[in-house]
Amino acid sequence: MKFLTTNFLKCSVGACDNSNDNFPLRYEGSKCQIVQDETVEFNPQFLLNILDRVDWNAIVTVARELGNQSLPVTKPQFTHQNGDANTASNLTEDELAVLQDLHVLLLQTSIAEGQMSCRNCNHIYHIKNGIPNLLLPPHLA
Amino acid sequence: MLPTPYVTCDYEKVYEPSEDSFLLLDSLEDEQLFLKDRFKNKLTVVSEFGPGTGIVLTFMMQNHIPTMGNSLYFGLDISPWAVKTTLETAKKNDCDKSYLDCIQTDLGSNLRNNQVDVLVFNPPYVPAEKVPLVPADEKDIHTWLDLALEGGKNGMVVTQRVLDNLGNILSPDGVAYILFCAQNRPEEIVKDMIDNYSWKVELVKQRKAGWEVLSVYRFSRR
Repeated sequence: MKFLTTNFLKCSVGACDNSNDNFPLRYEGSKCQIVQDETVEFNPQFLLNILDRVDWNAIVTVARELGNQSLPVTKPQFTHQNGDANTASNLTEDELAVLQDLHVLLLQTSIAEGQMSCRNCNHIYHIKNGIPNLLLPPHLA
Repeated sequence: MLPTPYVTCDYEKVYEPSEDSFLLLDSLEDEQLFLKDRFKNKLTVVSEFGPGTGIVLTFMMQNHIPTMGNSLYFGLDISPWAVKTTLETAKKNDCDKSYLDCIQTDLGSNLRNNQVDVLVFNPPYVPAEKVPLVPADEKDIHTWLDLALEGGKNGMVVTQRVLDNLGNILSPDGVAYILFCAQNRPEEIVKDMIDNYSWKVELVKQRKAGWEVLSVYRFSRR
């Protein structure tokens, strides 16, 4: 499961829907096996569009849990990212470097094996062979 | 006409692409311009509930539906065999470059609210006494396959759960493509969604397939 996917998954337990702690799930760094796929190509425009959309706090939280402490607390802003001018063509070298780092984290990093839990109900989910299993046992479904 | 993905797998475990799958492919082909225009240069989050073999998601990735290099694809299936097969089908069709993750889960129950821009759903629509219980054992392949087909009363039990939750699933501009058979009584369902829940619903495609009449409807906010 790719790192960016953690930004879309919440706990499936219905009772947690009214909690603010059902997202993001808590990833157990010591139990997660991380892999990098360097063949995923860098596309700065795609990264800008992704950044537009993500919950940055959740990105920072999960990155820390998985051992990456380097992200800034606030979402990086790009000088040319104003309104319709959300284009990658005028980025400075520094900005491209920031996007390149985010590319490595969000798109090249995957959790191959691992474990995560809900911050609200503490239910534990597993990732095996890169596939998260979020199916609940019958008594919770 | 757009190319169709190459699919080969064990059809004892995963539903074999049939007329319904192909109607969905043709519908999405027809909808290309509509989707491009709707999402323009923005990131689009595509989710398919119950991808089975992965033929539809792979078709979308292959043909850059809705947008070129700007989409995230998620395949959510209750069957462990389907999630694996969806990833394999994508790989066999050289879609490794696309952003695809597959998750074993029950419909959209673990998706953060209001994130899906394009939802595709070919549900278990066959009327049956009841929806099968989720098997405890991965090897219970017959039940996993039944889950892909049997939709309980009027074949609508599973689809209705998605319709009831559509407002939480879709992003503000989100659209859903959902397939029905005639026994689901889609006209009544569509009327209810329009009259009582203020959705905009349009018939995308309808086709007679053997003894079945299948249709694909597009749902969006008014």
